Amino acid sequence: MIYVAVIAIAVLLFGIGIYNSLISKKNQVANAFSAIDVMLKKRFDLLPNLVETVKQYMQYEGDTLTKITALRGKALGTNVSESDKIALDSEIGTAVKGLMVSVENYPDLKANQNFLNLQSTWTESEEQIAAARRNYNATVTTYNNAVMMFPGNMFAGMLGYQTMSVLEIAAAERENVSAKELFNQ
Amino acid sequence: MAQDFKRTPEIENVIAELEVQRKKIASSKIQGWGAIILGITCFAIGSILSQAVIASIGFVSVVPGAIILFRISDSIKTYKHRFKQEVIGTALGSIHQNLVFDPENGISESEFINSQLFTTQPDRYHSEDLIAGKDEKTTFYFAEVHAEYKTETQTKNGKQVNWHDILKGIIFSADFNKNFNGVTVIRPKDFGSSIGAWFSKNIFSLGDKDIVQLENDYFNKNFVTYSTDQIEARYVLTPAMMDKISELNERSAYCVSLSFINSSVYIAFPLDNNYFEPPVFKTLLKADLLEEDMNILSFMLMIIKELDLNTRIWTKR
Repeated sequence: MIYVAVIAIAVLLFGIGIYNSLISKKNQVANAFSAIDVMLKKRFDLLPNLVETVKQYMQYEGDTLTKITALRGKALGTNVSESDKIALDSEIGTAVKGLMVSVENYPDLKANQNFLNLQSTWTESEEQIAAARRNYNATVTTYNNAVMMFPGNMFAGMLGYQTMSVLEIAAAERENVSAKELFNQ
Repeated sequence: MAQDFKRTPEIENVIAELEVQRKKIASSKIQGWGAIILGITCFAIGSILSQAVIASIGFVSVVPGAIILFRISDSIKTYKHRFKQEVIGTALGSIHQNLVFDPENGISESEFINSQLFTTQPDRYHSEDLIAGKDEKTTFYFAEVHAEYKTETQTKNGKQVNWHDILKGIIFSADFNKNFNGVTVIRPKDFGSSIGAWFSKNIFSLGDKDIVQLENDYFNKNFVTYSTDQIEARYVLTPAMMDKISELNERSAYCVSLSFINSSVYIAFPLDNNYFEPPVFKTLLKADLLEEDMNILSFMLMIIKELDLNTRIWTKR
């Protein structure tokens, strides 16, 4: 009788462990996603400063600057889904990259300390976002493993947990950010 | 950055003087140890054969042997000191302008522990031959370290103490080119940590939460990475940085350990040789006298380039 009770308690504890672990894995995914969100917000906050600094020197890039400001407004607006936010960030990234290339034509801007600081912070934010995305993908992979592998799959079915898709990491992100290439310094 | 070491006439003169000193030390050592070995042998034979005269001769010949060794100890110190200061020191200067060599100092034991490169606390610690410098924007230093821990076993003859190496090699430290607040440690994968990593990956809740699962296969096969901050670990260990560390590891004789802490990177290289030491029983006049020392030095200086630490495109200058 006592053996049956011990086995029953062991099975129960094991079940609780697996159940809690699945929940924790799912929360970790949500957590990892919010970390990307925080990084994106940080990056978007750099834009007004960047646009302001650049505007004083660049006479012919008005369109790009307006586009960047508009994209930022859109990304920070309400009712923007997370995937849209990531897509908008990618668009902003491309626009800023283009802007940085045209900096070459403005030697005074290239020498501006405030601009140089913003440039470094921008590069830093780029790698921080890449790190947050990689972290998100790692937590999703761990979660997916838990959902698909035995014994987690039994509980996942009961809880209605399904696998999630990882974020696509752009080829450029897989490589190290190179300021030389990026800013053509 | 590193150039080949060229023997100047000044160095040649110093080496010639030291060679005379070395020969004296070598012959005194042979005489001293010869007398001691002979004495012990006579003493043992005399004791076995119950020949008090032979045993006494043996006992008596140990004494001059010990005196000879005692008397040359100061000469050895001077010989080593001159070799390190005048030969190694000058050679370092010819390879890199901004190098400072401090043979008497090393990396302190507290820094060794704080670097978190190893989990075992040393019971015996020695560090020497500190070399410090700056290469463009990156300050760095490295030193030879011998850290050991002891185990005690009870035998029928009493307690037996055994010493085991934690690290015998070189620890390299450099200012890292990115700011970070947490601690990320990369250690060689051994049996215990492999099990920890497997649990962390496959059996949920049982593994170490600090383990960082990275995307690089070579990395996961050879190292286990721990961090207090999962995102920061990936910020430091970009895919490119992982490749660079892998290359560095391939070029090292044994698997390296790394830690990213207090805005610096620490790398531990286990090595077989004791570097920057003058030979006693081999001539100083051979052409490849400093070859091994210069090779290890060039290797250390190459790390900054290899890990691209002079690229300061982030907010840290």
